[in-house]
Amino acid sequence: MKSIANMNEAELSAYIQSHLKNAGIDVVLSGGSAVTIYSENKYVSKDLDLVNVYAANRKKIKTAMTKLGFQEEGRYFTHAKTKLFIEFPAGPLAIGEEPVKEIVEKEMPTGTLRIISPTDCVKDRLAAYYHWSDRQCLVQAQYVSQAQAVDLKEVRAWSEREGMLAKFEEIKKELK
Amino acid sequence: MLSTLFGSENNERVLIFILNRDEGYASEIAHFFDATLYAIQQQLDKLENGGVLVSKTVGRTRVYEYNPRYPFLTELKALLEKAYSFYPEDVRENLEMNRRRPRKKDKPL
Repeated sequence: MKSIANMNEAELSAYIQSHLKNAGIDVVLSGGSAVTIYSENKYVSKDLDLVNVYAANRKKIKTAMTKLGFQEEGRYFTHAKTKLFIEFPAGPLAIGEEPVKEIVEKEMPTGTLRIISPTDCVKDRLAAYYHWSDRQCLVQAQYVSQAQAVDLKEVRAWSEREGMLAKFEEIKKELK
Repeated sequence: MLSTLFGSENNERVLIFILNRDEGYASEIAHFFDATLYAIQQQLDKLENGGVLVSKTVGRTRVYEYNPRYPFLTELKALLEKAYSFYPEDVRENLEMNRRRPRKKDKPL
C-alpha cells in the first residue's frame, strides 16, 4: 500500500472512502477535487469534499478518521503526511434541487473511488456560476466538459429545471 | 413557532430573520431578538455546517444568507413563510421595516 504522502487526490479519496465504508459511513467525492480528477489536474483543489450521503454522525466520522491518523481542525481533517484537507459537507448528495442518481466507481490501488459523474460535476460547477456568477466555476465546468464525455443535453435540461435556461444558453458554447 | 422541529428557538430566529432580510450577521440578529451573541453564533455555525446557510466576509463582518444550492430550500422557505404568518404583528413590522437605502457617512440622523 502506498504511503499517504504519495497519494494523489483520487487515491487518497479512495483510501478514506474504503475505510469509512467499512465503518458503515457512505461518502462521495464532489466539489473542486472532482474537477481536479476530471480535468486531469488543469484545476487543482487542495480540499477533498467527501459528501456525507446519509448524514453519518460527526463523532463516528472523527473516530474512523483518527484511526487513519487524521486530526480534526475545525471543519476539516488534516494529516501530517499530506497537504490535502478533508471535509465532509453535510448531505444529501444533490445538484441544485435534485438528488444525484449516478455514482461513478473506479478501482484505485488504494481502494474504491466513489465520485459524482462528469455530467453532474459540470452541473455542480454551473450551480455555483448560476447563483453567484462565479466565473472560476464556469472555467472549471469548461475544463471538465472538454476533458470528459459530458451529456450537455442533460445539463441543458437540468438548467431549465433550475430556472436557469437563459444563463445556460449564454454559456453553452464555452462548454464544448 | 417551529422550535420543536428545529430543536431551538434561536435556530428558528436566525432562519426567520434571514428569510425576511435576505442576509444577516450575528450581532444584528442577536440584538433584534434580544438573544445572546454566542447563542446566535452557534446556530449560524450549525446552519452553515449543515449547508442551509452560506457566509461571506464583508469588511470585518461575517454575513450569512440562504444557500441557494440547499436541496430543500424551496420547501424550507415555504414552511418558514407559513410559520412567519403567525408571528405577532409588531415583530413582523420590525423585521420588514428596516432601512435598506444608503446612508451618507456624516449624516447626523
